[in-house]
Amino acid sequence: MPPRFGRRQLLAGAAALGAAGLGLGLTGCSGSGRPEPLQFWNYYAPQEQGDPEIVEQSKWFQSAIDHWNANHPEQVMPVFVPDYVNPMNPRIATAFAAENGPDIFLISPGEFLRYYNGGVLVDFKPYLTQEAFDDFYPETLATRIVGEGIYALPMEVDPLSIYYDVAAFEEAGLSEGDLPATWDQMLDVAERLTTPRRSGLVLETTPGYYQNFTFYPWVWQGGGEVVDPITQKPRIASDAVVAALELFAASIARGVAPRTLPAGGEIVTAFTQGLAAMWQRGPWSISEFQLQAPDHRYGVFPLPLPPGGRQITVAGGWAWAVNNRGRNSDAAARFVVESIGSMSAESIARGADWNYRAKSNLPARRSVSAASEQLPSYADPARAAVRELVSTSRGEPRYPPVLYKALSNTIQSVQLAGGDARVQAQVAQDAIESFLQTYEGGTLV
Amino acid sequence: MTALSLNRTAGRVGADRRPLSTMQKRERRAAFLFLLPDSLGLLVFVVVPMFLAIGLAFFSLDGFGHLRFIGVDNYVRMAQDPQFWSSLRVTAVYVVVVVPVMFVVSLALAVLVKERFPGVGVVRSALFLPYVISLVVVGMIWQFMLTDKVGVVSRALAFVGLEGVSILGSPGLALAAVIAITIWFQMGYYMIMFLAGLQDIPGELYEVARVDGASAWQQFRGITLPLLAPTSFFVILTSTIAVVTGGLDLVYVLTQGGPASATSVLIFFVYEQAFLFGEYGYAAAIGSVLLVALLLWSALMFFLTHGGRFSHADD
Amino acid sequence: MPTTDQLLEPAAPTVAAAERRHGRPAPRTRWSRRNAALLALGLVLGIGTVLPLLVMVLGSLKPKAEVTAPTLLPQQPTLENYVYVFTEVPFARYLLNSAFVAGVITVLALWFHSMAAYALARLRFPGREAVFLVIFSTLLVSLPVVMVPTFAVVRTLGLVDSYGGLIIPAIFNAFGIFLLRQFYISMPAELEEAALLDGASYWRVYWHVILPLSRPILSALAVFFFLANWNAFVWPLTITSDPDLRTVQVGIAGFQQQYAGNWNYTLAAATVAAVPMLLMFFFFQRQIVESIKSASFK
Repeated sequence: MPPRFGRRQLLAGAAALGAAGLGLGLTGCSGSGRPEPLQFWNYYAPQEQGDPEIVEQSKWFQSAIDHWNANHPEQVMPVFVPDYVNPMNPRIATAFAAENGPDIFLISPGEFLRYYNGGVLVDFKPYLTQEAFDDFYPETLATRIVGEGIYALPMEVDPLSIYYDVAAFEEAGLSEGDLPATWDQMLDVAERLTTPRRSGLVLETTPGYYQNFTFYPWVWQGGGEVVDPITQKPRIASDAVVAALELFAASIARGVAPRTLPAGGEIVTAFTQGLAAMWQRGPWSISEFQLQAPDHRYGVFPLPLPPGGRQITVAGGWAWAVNNRGRNSDAAARFVVESIGSMSAESIARGADWNYRAKSNLPARRSVSAASEQLPSYADPARAAVRELVSTSRGEPRYPPVLYKALSNTIQSVQLAGGDARVQAQVAQDAIESFLQTYEGGTLV
Repeated sequence: MTALSLNRTAGRVGADRRPLSTMQKRERRAAFLFLLPDSLGLLVFVVVPMFLAIGLAFFSLDGFGHLRFIGVDNYVRMAQDPQFWSSLRVTAVYVVVVVPVMFVVSLALAVLVKERFPGVGVVRSALFLPYVISLVVVGMIWQFMLTDKVGVVSRALAFVGLEGVSILGSPGLALAAVIAITIWFQMGYYMIMFLAGLQDIPGELYEVARVDGASAWQQFRGITLPLLAPTSFFVILTSTIAVVTGGLDLVYVLTQGGPASATSVLIFFVYEQAFLFGEYGYAAAIGSVLLVALLLWSALMFFLTHGGRFSHADD
Repeated sequence: MPTTDQLLEPAAPTVAAAERRHGRPAPRTRWSRRNAALLALGLVLGIGTVLPLLVMVLGSLKPKAEVTAPTLLPQQPTLENYVYVFTEVPFARYLLNSAFVAGVITVLALWFHSMAAYALARLRFPGREAVFLVIFSTLLVSLPVVMVPTFAVVRTLGLVDSYGGLIIPAIFNAFGIFLLRQFYISMPAELEEAALLDGASYWRVYWHVILPLSRPILSALAVFFFLANWNAFVWPLTITSDPDLRTVQVGIAGFQQQYAGNWNYTLAAATVAAVPMLLMFFFFQRQIVESIKSASFK
């Protein structure tokens, strides 16, 4: 050690120590080809109890895995991760940071770029036949494609619309003819539906990827964009975004929308207990109603529009992804493609079974949609209403965390803290502009 | 006693110029071995992370092992990040409100339960009870009671005419709730500390004061407060640290930092950046600010308490 | 089964002892108007304080339809929620994990801390003050503040997702060393010196003289450490993903998210996590109180 050890050297030394420690700590590579089963992290299986739709969905995953395991030496094991959808759940992120990530995992569009930019996703392109590739609706693959590669395979599409409680409408003296078609009508109707106990309209309030997801369609309706998909420049400081922000704020300010979700976010409980009348939701609610309260009367209508707006909605949905640092990423990719992305009769039937029995989202593939027509639930009116939305659905954008957070802060501030929409939009605009100056990674679509 | 034993040691070590005896060697070896497990552990899990916290701050590190030296960029980003300043502000409000209120509340409770009235043991236990519950459970209980419209508290508010108030859905109220719950949870702990301090004050002092005709308030001002100074000082220091570094569990369960980041304290912001967004370098930069602040606080404490030997400050 | 009053009694002798120290006989508690008023005030504050816990326990005994009803007492009390919680998720496993992790941390921490504190308080060696200074300076660096780098260290050691990762980093903190050192410094030296003169090794002195003498403070710290580690949440949440390693706090937090809106289940789960600590409080109240008192730098 040199006799004179200044503060600068100390800092440099500490930094070097840090780098060395991290080099060891976070960049080590795990060996592959271990004989352990491939871990499939998800939040469906295994689960033996719970609400009936949860049991059905768990069985579906289990049977897909069993089918693979019976025919291949590389075994797959489902790992149930509770609280998976919670943006505050660190499990998957820390598992990757510890080089101990899952082999196969469910990924939402909101999180896609974080993993893609981290360079951990396997490209399914070499595993997918051209026929199967063409079978996916282009809109569902668009947000999973970077360049020539396909980095996640969607199992479902879930376009958002408004779900409403028929009994609440009747109580308020409203009928189907009163279903709102514009933003103003929506707030007016919500006002008539609101009672001390019941919220007229539920828009998402919890900060997170999911709230951003529910926010996009209101922006697009007015021709706005968060980030322009062509120029890759943020367009948050725009009239369309400001109008959508003001809609969220107005719903709270007029007292027709709650500041926290009724019944902890459970739509069936909220409707059956008379806590909410209209709710911006996705089609997964259909199977929740079907299995938890099959006799409860509810309906679905498309998102109302702003003046001069166009009909459009957002569609998310889970996709399967494979970790390229996993135990056997080749086998994992084959498992994914065989299960949900092959033209085999089993794969197609499996897709139909998922979307039209176990869960109630829409298929991501043409062949699965066609096969679904044979299933009894195809005729269900709510599902029919949701199918109407497909032609006007756009995939949930994939934005990296900084962008997600900037937008989330703006939505939260305007919706719940009385922030000025234009000012807050500009704050997000500036933050995202400065972030994108140095951003390198998958395109923002 | 403390000072005595230390002086004795200091004299010995300082005066020792002779070759070491076998006894001394044996003692030194024993001391080394006794200190080894904890020193090693503290080195690896506390000291190294402390330095690493500063070192990491100069790197960009995602959650996938990509490491790049970026100089002070993380600090520049931090200075420009409205979320950082907002979290700093939330933390400041949290500390500035909780510490004094907790001080007054727990001291008042200690004064109450120092009295020997029948059933005081039960009361004392009841006031302390929340402290033994985890913050996760605490968060759940309060989330349940504060649920809009159907929660106990919301119903009570509606009963007094405050219908439709959303506590966890309004920024100001949510932070107020986090503050109130923190105080409710921790007041018993500091109450016991104050109680210990109060019990050390000789009763004769009060008797003399009473003979002199001092009122209860005069006794409190003239005797209790001055003699309680060491305890008070300690309560203020530790509760400040506890409030700055704590609260993560509660915020995580109760509000997840919302609504509109109103309860996103700095430590929560650090956690979010690191473990949810994989911004480990940036998180380390923010964390290093906290760390330095706490070290300064720690140093202040060390000097003010004469190296932790409080009661011998005036030896 | 003793009554609550008896269980809570241990607090009282402490006061009596304290007063005896100051040469004044502890007066018997007497009913007077003043005492009645104090009791009334104390009861109001005490009941107000425990009310949220009562709400939790009583709510966990209500069926789903009733849990958000505006009544405190369950109209149709049921244990169904507990049955559900235990069959739904491996709660027994969570409880066992928490007990194991908190227990091992407690034992190892007390062992290591008492050794270190003994050396710092009673043994003479060069650099003792410096070592103590370094340890003291880490006193206020708590895990949440250095969680990011600690995670990196734990990763380097390959302890992520293991009992080691849950246990080892939680053992080391200066707090316990500090308190034990204070205790040892004020302990009379005669016994120890006699043993040393008889030729006993330092280890023997530590094991046979020091440890038995420190039983009261060790038991106080043990209860406190166990409590703190049973209640730990963020570190176990961050460091483990294996379902088999889930501790009870992490377990109930996940459970709550999953059964959002089913407050009857969530409250039952919360009660299950809280009851062991409530029991511990009732039985070891004196130790908890003592450990807090000894922590106040007296």
